[in-house]
Amino acid sequence: MENSRALHDELKHIVGKSGILPEVQIAAYTFDGHIPKAVVLPASVQEMQEVLQFASKRDLSVMPAGAGTKLGIGNLPQKVDIVLATTRLNSVVEYEPADLTVTVEAGIRLAALQAVLAQHRQYLALDPPYTDRCTLGGIVATNASGSLRLRHGAARNQVLGLQVVHANGTVVKSGGKVVKNVAGYDLNKLYIGAFGTLGIITEVTLKLSPIPAHEAILVADFQNVQGAIDTGLSIIGSQILPMFVNLSINSDFVGTATDNATDAKRPTLVVGFGGDPETVAWQLTECRGIMEQNGALGVTSTEGESRAHLQKAIREFPATDTDTERVIAKLNLKRTGIAEFAARVMDASWARDVQVMALLGSGILYLSMPVTSDTDFEGLANTLTQLRQSATEARGNLIVEAAPPELKQHIDVWGAVGDTLGLMKQVKNRFDAGSLLNPGRFVSGI
Amino acid sequence: MHQKEQLIADLSALLGPKNVLTDATALAVYECDAAPSFKAMPDTVVFADTAQQVSDIVKLANRYDTPFIARGGGTGLSGGMLSVQGGIIIALNRMDRILEIDLENERAVVEPGVVNLLLTQAVENKGYHYAPDPSSQKACTIGGNIAENSGGPHTLKYGVTSDHVLGLEVVLPDGEIIELGGTVEEIPGYDLRGVMIGSEGTFGIVTKAVVRLTRNPQAYQTALAVFETMDDASNAVSTIIGEGIIPAALEMMDSLVIRALEEAFQFGFPLDAEAILIVELDGIKAGMQNQTDQILEIFKQHNARKVDYAKDEAERQQLWKARKSAFGSFGRLAPNYITQDGVVPRTTLPKVLRRISEISEKYQIPIANVFHAGDGNIHPIVLFNERDADQCERVEHVNMEILSVCAEVGGTITGEHGIGVEKMDYMPLIFSPADLQVMATVKEIFNPTGLCNPGKIFPTAESYAKLGLQPDAARRF
Repeated sequence: MENSRALHDELKHIVGKSGILPEVQIAAYTFDGHIPKAVVLPASVQEMQEVLQFASKRDLSVMPAGAGTKLGIGNLPQKVDIVLATTRLNSVVEYEPADLTVTVEAGIRLAALQAVLAQHRQYLALDPPYTDRCTLGGIVATNASGSLRLRHGAARNQVLGLQVVHANGTVVKSGGKVVKNVAGYDLNKLYIGAFGTLGIITEVTLKLSPIPAHEAILVADFQNVQGAIDTGLSIIGSQILPMFVNLSINSDFVGTATDNATDAKRPTLVVGFGGDPETVAWQLTECRGIMEQNGALGVTSTEGESRAHLQKAIREFPATDTDTERVIAKLNLKRTGIAEFAARVMDASWARDVQVMALLGSGILYLSMPVTSDTDFEGLANTLTQLRQSATEARGNLIVEAAPPELKQHIDVWGAVGDTLGLMKQVKNRFDAGSLLNPGRFVSGI
Repeated sequence: MHQKEQLIADLSALLGPKNVLTDATALAVYECDAAPSFKAMPDTVVFADTAQQVSDIVKLANRYDTPFIARGGGTGLSGGMLSVQGGIIIALNRMDRILEIDLENERAVVEPGVVNLLLTQAVENKGYHYAPDPSSQKACTIGGNIAENSGGPHTLKYGVTSDHVLGLEVVLPDGEIIELGGTVEEIPGYDLRGVMIGSEGTFGIVTKAVVRLTRNPQAYQTALAVFETMDDASNAVSTIIGEGIIPAALEMMDSLVIRALEEAFQFGFPLDAEAILIVELDGIKAGMQNQTDQILEIFKQHNARKVDYAKDEAERQQLWKARKSAFGSFGRLAPNYITQDGVVPRTTLPKVLRRISEISEKYQIPIANVFHAGDGNIHPIVLFNERDADQCERVEHVNMEILSVCAEVGGTITGEHGIGVEKMDYMPLIFSPADLQVMATVKEIFNPTGLCNPGKIFPTAESYAKLGLQPDAARRF
């Protein structure tokens, strides 16, 4: 602790006393069993540059973070020295509602931004978990998304411009502030989803969407998984334009969040709608018809307050914000491949505990299961590896988004990236030659 | 000289002599794209049929230290395919196969030479289309669209090419064939697919693409409004968006365009109108009339003189025909024109359009406007006669001032046409030397020899001097 106190003192020269998280609070930024030596909260881009220069000189690693909700994503770290959190850079820089764009500092919380936008009946159509806490910088750096990506895409489709501080302290911008822009290379794409390994995002310009005038959710139970998925795909292939079509298996939230008597263990289809009230009403009738035709055991329509609760539960689904530690894996598949993988997941030895949420339109399947000290991590890693192999054969992939270090010892959370690795390594080397930022945690040890 | 002949011989051996053009008349077709103010003669044009052939050609080019450039439909508007340093143009038009259509997953796998509209036509009877629809969609290719990250009138609601391309097979500038992205939504690692799209052919040559298909909407409603002033029309655009309506398209034409259209095609537009807005809604039929009514009401609030909407599909097609014919009518206004492509925040449209009209007045160069108003993507058409040296000089100033205005209001200098050779001088208006240095670094990673489409995008020392900036900045890239 002596060392860490000395480090704190030096960092205080750069960011002041209020720019260092007191030691008692550092535990909140613990990940993979590592407690960072310091958590720094710069109040300006300049302070951030100075922290990076300091870390570079001392050969200390820097973990960029927002609220820290996604710090656990990645392979086991080589070393954890400084967590650099953007949470004090949290203002709205520019917002002109009629332009339907906004520029914010990276540390602003998503919920805080949505509250500002809601005053003008607008919102950012990104709904990753931890909405109340997670920051825009974190969402963009991890390309986090949720059910709304069916209509609106993920961060890669909604970010217009970024300001980034590179490991050497250089401040650069990519993209711009307007909705269409092909001037120069589209380097936004490089930083989005790079998990902070190429630079620290300090400012984000985003495309916004109008809040739908009316919203509703239809919930339908099915006898079996195949029936639920077939119905979901029929809905997607029809003239209806739902905001999301999710399959939920073994989740308890559907039953608790609505008043219906849904049996939590049954596969459930959750379909969201938004828009003009007349448009929504027509879609509800159509969608209900498709569900009933396909043998739904019961269909419930949810609006108003209870819809908002249900939507929140869906959004927060893969979150690990509970007392129980969980393993969360994300399968990226063709949507027609979901049925096979859902069946395989439910056939595995973990079937009793696993919860599944599939974004059917996007071909994404999340599985989430609790782990305890009794869990056979090696066995679990083997099962996940087999699942990954099959996904890869189907031209998809499997990413472990959350896991205790005991599991990470047995599995690469990202999987192989193939023959593009050479290019990716060159990008990392040219952007962060000293491997200062988040070292070793991204794909293939980048 | 000897070396060049040897290269031609090697290319002929590889592809067969009939696939290697060297005749000056034949090459002349390839000396420019659809922005004919810029010309450069390639040493040869070769026709590739497979990714392997493209790779072999690229390896040969490397061996002879010769530049090489991919070309699709030749419809580019920024000189992106110009062989400014000579070399080989690799024509991809023969790689025009649609390899796979998978409607259940809303995907198609296509070769780069597939013409944009033909992909849509291949799936339209099944109720699908390929969403990016540049005005040149009858001739432009998917490969070219990927190089330029093309847009079109419907990007307002549906996004640009990058939003519709999931995976790419690419021949890298050293000849290696590599796959970027894939067939699913997300792939672990850096999004090199996203970086390749819009790199204007300087990072490699796309030989295959996995693209999204989009289901056709159940219904359309297309409305038209005639305005007395550009200000009224522009403010109507901002109000529509501000009211939470996202039309599928929202297009504006000014008086010069209206007159040219009427002379050429007689659509029946009033000749004394200052601006026409075409707005299209698409989606579910139920409730659409509510939004149409709301839009018509907004038009009236902003003093629209005449408001109308298409009663049936034939009338809708007629409205779009007018919009898409606009470029074909400019020949009546002047022998030559340059289409600018700036994007500005929607709310600044009235101010920006006024400034453009002042610039037109100042230099006595007519400027017509037909553009994607909903995106703030302006297309000032600068009309001139290239045989008049004095006019050409004034046009230079006009271009620079228009793009400076776009930069000044927080916009950009190109929304869909690309930088190419046309706008490289203006890059310092929106990017600092440090920003450009990062771009140069990424280019070095993909294209270390610089042989793949050289002389594009990056400003030179002269560019900086032209803008009155320190030319030393250009040394960094």
